[in-house]
Amino acid sequence: MDTNRLVTARLFQRFGFGPKPGEFSAALQAGNTATRTSLLTVPSFDNGAQRVAEPALTDLGKRPEPNDPQQKIFGAQMREQNKALTVWWLDRMALSDHALTERMTWFWHGHWATAIDKLNFALPMYMQNQTLRKHALGNFRDQSLAMINDGALQIWLDGQENTVRAPNENLGRELMELFILGVNRYTETDVKELARALTGYQVTRSNGTVTFNSRRYDPNPKTILGKTIAYDATSATNHLVDQTACQLFISERLWYRFISSRNPLPKQSGIQSAFGQRSISAAVSALADFEYLSDTRYSQVKSPVEWFISSCRALSITPSQLTNPNNLLNYLNKLSQVPFSPPNVGGWPTDEAWLSSASAQFRFAFAQWFIKQGDISPVSNLARKDRVAAIADWLGVAELSDRTTTALQGADGDPKRLTLLALCSPEFIVSA
Amino acid sequence: MDTISRRKFLTLTSGAAIGAMVPLLSLQDIAQAAIDRPLPANTPILVAVTLYGGNDGLNTLIPYTDSLYFSSRPDISYPAEKLLQLDSSLALNPAMTGIKTLWDEKKVAIIRGVGYPKPDRSHFSSMAKWQTGNPLTHISTGWLGRWIDTQPTDPMIAISLGSVLPPLLAGAKKSGSALPLGGLVIPTGQLAADCAKLSTASSSDSKLMALAANTMKNLFNISDSISPILKKNVPGSAVELPTINGGNAGGDTNLSQQLDIVAKLIDAGAPTRVWSVSLGGFDTHANEANAQAALLGVVSDSISRFMTQLKSTTRSRDVVVLVYSEFGRRVVGNASQGTDHGSSGPVFVIGDKIKGGFYGDQPSLAKLVDGDLAVTTDFRSVYATILEKVLKSPPERILNGWKKKVPFYKAV
Repeated sequence: MDTNRLVTARLFQRFGFGPKPGEFSAALQAGNTATRTSLLTVPSFDNGAQRVAEPALTDLGKRPEPNDPQQKIFGAQMREQNKALTVWWLDRMALSDHALTERMTWFWHGHWATAIDKLNFALPMYMQNQTLRKHALGNFRDQSLAMINDGALQIWLDGQENTVRAPNENLGRELMELFILGVNRYTETDVKELARALTGYQVTRSNGTVTFNSRRYDPNPKTILGKTIAYDATSATNHLVDQTACQLFISERLWYRFISSRNPLPKQSGIQSAFGQRSISAAVSALADFEYLSDTRYSQVKSPVEWFISSCRALSITPSQLTNPNNLLNYLNKLSQVPFSPPNVGGWPTDEAWLSSASAQFRFAFAQWFIKQGDISPVSNLARKDRVAAIADWLGVAELSDRTTTALQGADGDPKRLTLLALCSPEFIVSA
Repeated sequence: MDTISRRKFLTLTSGAAIGAMVPLLSLQDIAQAAIDRPLPANTPILVAVTLYGGNDGLNTLIPYTDSLYFSSRPDISYPAEKLLQLDSSLALNPAMTGIKTLWDEKKVAIIRGVGYPKPDRSHFSSMAKWQTGNPLTHISTGWLGRWIDTQPTDPMIAISLGSVLPPLLAGAKKSGSALPLGGLVIPTGQLAADCAKLSTASSSDSKLMALAANTMKNLFNISDSISPILKKNVPGSAVELPTINGGNAGGDTNLSQQLDIVAKLIDAGAPTRVWSVSLGGFDTHANEANAQAALLGVVSDSISRFMTQLKSTTRSRDVVVLVYSEFGRRVVGNASQGTDHGSSGPVFVIGDKIKGGFYGDQPSLAKLVDGDLAVTTDFRSVYATILEKVLKSPPERILNGWKKKVPFYKAV
């Protein structure tokens, strides 16, 4: 394996959603140091992202009673808005010139995994997405404080049901287990005490507006992780973010999603120290270390959305323009990954989970469908004999095996078929 | 969830275990398998039903004469007269009429208070413990996956419905297969030939790439044999199989359709000894009563329908259904007409060869442990019985020396 190509490919695949046509060979020319800097530096203006119009979402208000004739119209509006929201985000991922911000927003969406299935309303999910984007590369403390005040998360984890009279532990537990500290880095008593600190929130479901009702709040002292004061949501969240367990946990999660889910975070890694002040961009910069990027042990399977978006970028596809978006969402659903619908609060699985025989089948059908609507001129414009050699750079693949090269050569007379095989090859499904 | 347990859990939640690069039979061999080598008559078959989210056991099997039940959860307790009484102290949730009928036929064993030492209230950790069958340390194989390891290599020996394989069926060297629920469209002609080329092993493949190639190859192996069978009707019914979407990692919503497929494949003689199906949505922190009753209704109706379908086949007596969830829920209701994560719960084992009745002690509402029901039976005792009686394998090796059993299987 050519280490130089491996590092370039991983930079595009892990810290973006793959290259657009021409980007990979230009990056090889520029060298990995320059490529790394350019991929990790968020520009002040992004032409591609600007082309994506914000989704038309409105506050639908209270759901009509079950027998109300308005119920049907209401349900249709709800579904339309949910669809608009999902394709809007897919468009941003596919069209942004600089993909790191969307990539990080995607990571945080899987981290604070909230599913629209329980909320039903698109507007609060959109607001959460904006919050995650705003803090995608900022400070984790600011992000956590913003998220504890996020209407979608509060509804998702029953925060509005958590009152002084009878605490509901759902949000408190996941805040420690899945969002800030990691499992078993606290006690069951800490969960109960934290739940009390988080009491008092009320949320308007249709628009995500969060209000604080002091009559539902428990003002008494709570003992959380050995410290006793009259915690509220802000002071308790700060207290959790202060823990060294937070520094370790977020480093682990970044490592798990960006470098390897199969190999543990190295002890005393530079990632942890970079995250000392809870700076996400510093931690991400430490993650994109050439030592990790050149280590062949750290391959990863692209999740279905990552695989689809990297295909879109290579084929200049705008997801919302595909005919029609219902088919698109149906395909993503069959591959078990639709944005805004993680399977549970733990987010999506990784690696082998995406490699069942069932998903292999759906991937082929999906790719056959969108290739017909994509721009494959980067290969179709070439003479037949030059096509296979151009594939790896077009798609940002580090190296094609002899097996795949042979299969592609058998299809080089038919650019659509050639593209299909390339997109479904093990080398494109897996980030080497 | 720390990175170790989470990583291991998700490594387990995999299409196949890491070491699964065992040689596969040729495409034609497997394509013919269901037809050429049907499961020998009288071979026991296990159908594992996983309820994701933590089913509230106390509103499933209800101590309807215990005043503590009513006083602990006034908002979500059921009035005694609505319940399906099983004996003088316990009753089933009103939605479980199908299971009640099977109970009356003495085909239902209810093992009470099942759990494991030091209950973990995390969905992920607790489900990992139940599925790995090891509550003490994090390991990377499921208890049924380790059984698969002891069996001759056969991608059809254990099949999970839905596109993501649960940890339950991941072994150290082999694993079960995933069967999509969306109607099988198998590549044919040119594409099939292309796929065959693309899924050839390559010496330069990383482990994950090799697995990607292998699962592509498996697709043909499994689909070819199963697709003609799928064209047949559901046993005992004139309906053809509905086309349904694939599931997700958190359990599927279409349990009855999953069981329809299983019934058909059992009827056809598929050489499959373990089936895994699932239903999600049991995480009822709020407004529990209606939601849980609806889900239990689905579980009960689907299973009784399934058992009825099997009656028209020759395999009716061979099938054992196991129903479990990752934990029960807190005894005392919260302010949201729901319950938070708890500890033990009842496990149901259903079949013609099951000795119907209660097993294990009902956890006392007067003697709670940290506000939760005590664990009176270890899940390993249930698994050991199933391994020995249904899967005909010595349980000790698979369950790290565990010997205890629960006598719910008839001696015949």
